[in-house]
Amino acid sequence: MTKIRIAFSKEDPVRWLSHLDTQKLFERALRRADIPLAFSEGFNPHPKIAFASALAVGVVSLSEYVDIELAAEVDPDVVGEKLQKAMPEGVRILGVTIIPHNAAALMAVINRADYRLRAALTAPVTEEHLAATVEKALQQTSWLVERDGKRGVSTKDIRAGVFRLQASLHDQMLLIETLVQTGSEGNVRPDEVLRVLMEQGNLPVDQESLRIIRVGLYIAKGDQLRSPMEEL
Amino acid sequence: MHLQKNTWQHTEQEISQLLEERILAQVTKPTRYTGGEFNQVRKNWDDVDVTMAFAFPDVYEVGMSHLGLRILYHLVNDQPRMAMERVFAPWTDMEAKMRQAGVPLFALESRKPLKDFDVLGFTLQYEMAYSNILNMLDLAGIPLEAGERDLTMPLVIAGGPCAMNPEPLAPFLDAVILGEGEEVLLEFLQTVADFRREQAEAQHTATGSVQPAGIRNTGTQPASTQPAGTGVYGDRLQAKRELLARLARIPGVYVPSFYEANYDAQGRFRELTPTHPDAPARILKRVVRDFDSAYFPEEPLVPYMQVVHDRIMLEVLRGCTRACRFCQAGSNYRPVRERSTERLLAQAEKLVQATGYDEIALTSLSTADHSCVSPLIRNLIAQNKDKKVGVSLPSLRVDAFSVDLAKEVQKVRKTGLTFAPEAGTQRLRDVINKGVTEEDLMNTVTSAFENGWSTIKLYFMIGLPTETEEDLEGIARLAEAVANRGSAILRQKGIKKGVKITVSTSSFVPKPQTPFQWEPQMARAELEAKQEWLKKRLRDRRIQYSWHDARLSFLEAIFAKGDRRLAAVLKRAWASGCSFDGWSDLFQFEKWQAAFEAEGINPDDYAYRPIAYDEPLPWEHLDIGVQRSYLIGEHEKALTATLTADCRTGSCSGCGVCSTLSVSNDLRGKKG
Repeated sequence: MTKIRIAFSKEDPVRWLSHLDTQKLFERALRRADIPLAFSEGFNPHPKIAFASALAVGVVSLSEYVDIELAAEVDPDVVGEKLQKAMPEGVRILGVTIIPHNAAALMAVINRADYRLRAALTAPVTEEHLAATVEKALQQTSWLVERDGKRGVSTKDIRAGVFRLQASLHDQMLLIETLVQTGSEGNVRPDEVLRVLMEQGNLPVDQESLRIIRVGLYIAKGDQLRSPMEEL
Repeated sequence: MHLQKNTWQHTEQEISQLLEERILAQVTKPTRYTGGEFNQVRKNWDDVDVTMAFAFPDVYEVGMSHLGLRILYHLVNDQPRMAMERVFAPWTDMEAKMRQAGVPLFALESRKPLKDFDVLGFTLQYEMAYSNILNMLDLAGIPLEAGERDLTMPLVIAGGPCAMNPEPLAPFLDAVILGEGEEVLLEFLQTVADFRREQAEAQHTATGSVQPAGIRNTGTQPASTQPAGTGVYGDRLQAKRELLARLARIPGVYVPSFYEANYDAQGRFRELTPTHPDAPARILKRVVRDFDSAYFPEEPLVPYMQVVHDRIMLEVLRGCTRACRFCQAGSNYRPVRERSTERLLAQAEKLVQATGYDEIALTSLSTADHSCVSPLIRNLIAQNKDKKVGVSLPSLRVDAFSVDLAKEVQKVRKTGLTFAPEAGTQRLRDVINKGVTEEDLMNTVTSAFENGWSTIKLYFMIGLPTETEEDLEGIARLAEAVANRGSAILRQKGIKKGVKITVSTSSFVPKPQTPFQWEPQMARAELEAKQEWLKKRLRDRRIQYSWHDARLSFLEAIFAKGDRRLAAVLKRAWASGCSFDGWSDLFQFEKWQAAFEAEGINPDDYAYRPIAYDEPLPWEHLDIGVQRSYLIGEHEKALTATLTADCRTGSCSGCGVCSTLSVSNDLRGKKG
């Protein structure tokens, strides 16, 4: 049995695919590319494909990861080429690597997500006000946000899950860069970070115009961020 | 809420930007509107002579499950100088966003507004999608009435099963294509392409213009800015009439505006007369003679989101000659033409490779009828086992053979099986010529229960001609007999799990071009009383009962057998807010009732009135090849519960299709 890890991007127009749609897309593309999949045992065999982390619908990602179990040995470069040809517009295969059988599941090890946000402002904001807002927010020890869940609305404190936050202005656009917690220990959503800033600084943001890009998923070890393609 | 034309002038770039930056993030299931699926074809419009948008008047996941769309989409796009794109009815949330932002209805591939296409073709799959057609035209900024559109607007055409009586839509359509589209659609589009080229050349010569831009609409010159009947606009109307005349000369193409409908003093349809020298008195439908070698796409679109039929659709045969008397498809798609096993296996192999789907559905009106179905299934399973690609059958006949097939394809998963006895007693099944006996059904379900199935769905119709209380009781009795048989077998096998029987009734809708076209529909109150009766009668805890909304069946009956006078009702109902009528939570029956009243049209006259054989019918100029004498004979046999044999195995029933259309049953298995 062989296990491979694939790094890929999810851009226009596939950024609109749900997590489930993305899973199906990979299953079908792998079959089109004639890559020898390993299947689960049992009544209803399914291919063994495990994604790193669900991505919200509409969010572009430049670094997604998936682990796949194969039934035969393969050349990772050949897999990458074949798979790229079997993919629709918007998915770029960024890398394929063989990983050990016992490599920890992506979902269990990935714990940092790096986001870029862009939203239009409906009224002018000064650089000074924005800088003060970020500073004020970062000084607080608690950021309470409300979240819609299966059991109704709950309140979460996301402050401890925000590791970096920078904001800037560009042509009436608010730009935010933030490194947040993701994975099994907890998830901070990038739009929640935006909402905290809006409340802290009374920022006049046109929320319908919000665009989000996930630029990186990482494994944090101490102060270091490592790529899932290196850290096996 | 309807559109202001002058604000709808967006280009594809502007539409794209609004979608990506504003709209898609705000709507449910955005992949309904993004396009970009694997195997999508996007052409450069500078390299083609004619463009068509295939319009499905329902949501994406319904439309993308339609095999006809996939066939025609790839067929047209395989022609180097033609382009076809797709458009579906936007769901209500998307429609609201589009109207708010002034985004006109656009095609998925290029995101160009529908107005920019040469041809906009709607498929008419069911009557209750008609309001969506008007809504889509409106959302596209295209005038509803054919007479209000010159050649700066697309030709709006239609095809599909309901095209066998498109009269309620006649004022809105420029042309209707009758029968199977594989050949005639290409002839149609080539005629449009040739005409446009000639026009462009003529204009070029006349004006000495250096830009032979033709008369394709660029979206910048709406017809309404020109004074009517004069100058360019008058020429354009004349040009359109000339184009329609050429199209009317193509066999299978019907141009409604070339005919005038007359009504008697009571407002009942009397006759339809041709008013144009190129309009034939009767239009004969088209049929594909050599189905085995007919075009079939081997690299079809693969949707992202889950669609209703999300699998490879392998079309194993076309047509059905079982001659069920209520069935419009049985009339429409005669005769039976099978594809050979060798071709199907080759197609399946390519389709698996090109789509990556893990399931192949054997699609047709009655797949178990294919004369080589057993070897086909065995070979398909063997061919695809290693890839873990399964085979499925979308519908089953009521016989043990079908259960054997189901067993073959579903070696492991035991989901429910569905059978359609259609009526509760032998007498009534004979009336409708459903060649199924109670013994057939009991043998079938016995085999199903013995082979591990415990859930059975049974489909029936209520309100069939000659139906009595005994027939209703028959439905309940059959369901109980099936449940009892299941319980006994499961007990015998020591299985603790209980049986589950679902009984579902639809209400009989008399359809045009069938032996029951002269029959009235049963009154709504009576149908509802029968549903209520069955609900009370089916108390058994193993049996679940579900039924169709009788009000919807009523409207379906009206529009199925309707004439041109209904166009005004449709338009009024749509204007008052009706759309997605087939979706129970959006269906607004009161608005339909109000529309009939306002137009002074009695709906009961269409649905409930028995029609005499000598009365003219609004669809009789549309010839599907089945003879009127055959339909009358079948209707009379129905009333005496006399059976007609399947002409594949029995003698010729004399329906007339083979001689009229120069075609014959084409079976691939050994004769006899």
